[in-house]
Amino acid sequence: MDISIVIPVYNEEASVEPLYRQIVDALSPLDFKYEIILVDDGSSDNTFNNASEITRKDNRLKVVKLKRNYGQTIGLHSGFQVADGRIVVTMDGDLQNDPLDIETMVRKIDDGFDIVLGWRHNRKDSLISRKIPSKIANWLISRVTGIPVKDNGCAIRAYRGEVVKKFPMYSEMHRLMPVITALSGARFAQIKVMHHPRQFGKSKYGLSRIYKVLIDMVALKIIFSFFHLPLYGFGIFAIFFGVLSLGVFAVGIVNLILSPGQSLVTTMGSSILLASLSMFLVFMGLISEMVYKTGDIKIEKLLKRKK
Amino acid sequence: MNKKIDVSVIITVSSKQSRNNVEALYNSYKTALEKSKLSYEFIYVTDAGLGDLLNSLQTLQQRNEDIKIVKLARWFGDATALNIGYDESSGRLILTLPAFQQVNVDEILRIVNSFVDTDMIIARRKRRKDNIFQRFQTRIFHYFVKVMLGMYYQDLGCRVRLFKREVLEHIHIYGDQIRFLPLLADKYGFRVKELEVEQYQSDSAHTVYSMAHYTERIVDLISIFFLIKFTKKPLRFFGFPGFIIFTIGSLLGLFLFYQRMFLDIALADRPIVLVSILLIVFGIQLFAIGLVAEIIIFTHSKDSEEYIVEKVIGGQRKEIEKVHMPPVEEEV
Repeated sequence: MDISIVIPVYNEEASVEPLYRQIVDALSPLDFKYEIILVDDGSSDNTFNNASEITRKDNRLKVVKLKRNYGQTIGLHSGFQVADGRIVVTMDGDLQNDPLDIETMVRKIDDGFDIVLGWRHNRKDSLISRKIPSKIANWLISRVTGIPVKDNGCAIRAYRGEVVKKFPMYSEMHRLMPVITALSGARFAQIKVMHHPRQFGKSKYGLSRIYKVLIDMVALKIIFSFFHLPLYGFGIFAIFFGVLSLGVFAVGIVNLILSPGQSLVTTMGSSILLASLSMFLVFMGLISEMVYKTGDIKIEKLLKRKK
Repeated sequence: MNKKIDVSVIITVSSKQSRNNVEALYNSYKTALEKSKLSYEFIYVTDAGLGDLLNSLQTLQQRNEDIKIVKLARWFGDATALNIGYDESSGRLILTLPAFQQVNVDEILRIVNSFVDTDMIIARRKRRKDNIFQRFQTRIFHYFVKVMLGMYYQDLGCRVRLFKREVLEHIHIYGDQIRFLPLLADKYGFRVKELEVEQYQSDSAHTVYSMAHYTERIVDLISIFFLIKFTKKPLRFFGFPGFIIFTIGSLLGLFLFYQRMFLDIALADRPIVLVSILLIVFGIQLFAIGLVAEIIIFTHSKDSEEYIVEKVIGGQRKEIEKVHMPPVEEEV
């Protein structure tokens, strides 16, 4: 199997059939073996029935039905579990992405990239509620992580198969997949993709996500920077506060010598507080070290290529 | 073990619960289940040192009643006891019943019969026997649950619950979390239904519980709140207060620094300096704890796949009902 196309859908009964048509039309002329994996993320409408209707005629379509609506991250994750392709392509189920872009992306992967990201340079969404918040989020994400992803929200992406199968997916990780993978050393390319206005149904994703995305990203950045050596990461801060504590202590002593009789409460108090913070961080580092040892995901191994 | 059992009745008995008339209660439960025409088994999980209870259960056993008794060396809470009972059980459905009567026995039959197109039914007692104060505290508790978790159930205290075996397969509860089982099941994606039933005439909540009881409920509520809302994103939980506290501390610090440098106000004997540093330290600690929690989730996320795949169809394979995804094999 060359390509697995994973598409999480939630209440998209009207889009299923056209989506399937578009993909088949786009990919059939090419000489790739492919499969389409629709993940029905607990839809309450006829999405599942419409999709299973198609599976009767075409065994290139797989449908994964989830018990309830769990959100996109889990939708993608469960799709990845049944994907057999050497290359995994993800896209939205609302027809806003164009399957014609898949070919270019797949060729890029064959050129040796780990991830190819779509970039909606000509986005067809409302300016205020979608475009501006996403601009801000993209800018912040690239500032914090140093990874210049132009469009973190674009759903059409292609991954080398092993990459998606190994990556931890929890919370709302799917948004940060490009950043996470890039942080751990994946090679990524970005290409311009087409973007169509919405035809059926309503958009399901609001803009309240920026805080969440940001804090998740801070966590990831820190984890990825120090993760393989947690004690080292916490240790740097521990040393910093330890030195600060000693400095304040020294100031207190000097004050005592220069002007005897002055109160030592603030200097000594601050010194003790900072010293305790320093110790605390050392212990946190030790705990993280322990957690990392017992955990089953090791960053160094995430992207190891098969030789 | 007989694989054909439909309902495993699990009754957990701690030494705190009243447990009069074990025999009478067993008989009435049994009569109710007889009427349902389903095959059933009884499993009692009991605390150590319940001599009288064990005696009466053993008397029942001698009369060839199909009862399993699991005696625990120590009591770890009803939820743990339920898990132990679950390990011993083989029924397709699990029915938990209290060791004292909460609902009219006939209602059990009704619950069993309404178990259609759902994964869990919890009984909700019509509060005829409770006085205003008791109803008020029940209301308050469930109101808090609603505000904190966004799920509205009206009687989490009722132990009469019927659910599919898979529920306990997927959900790990422990200690005293038994009253929150429906919430966790709901969050996980099981369909939970409430069914209104008649309250048993002598069942009613205590009017005033001990202080310890209220404290326990609050602690339970907080732990379940964290479990449901933030296990997957601990830094969001710890990071926010951490950041706020750190910011307050830093601003205060900057202000004091400004006073010292430009207005020449001495700092040496002002406790406010300590407050500022304390806040900074506390903020950093909270953040660090959140970060450690985040590392735990990141490294262990494979163990905690909290979703259920109902079915996978299409592709080269035939229809597979209820595939539970195995964790991905680690390739090195």
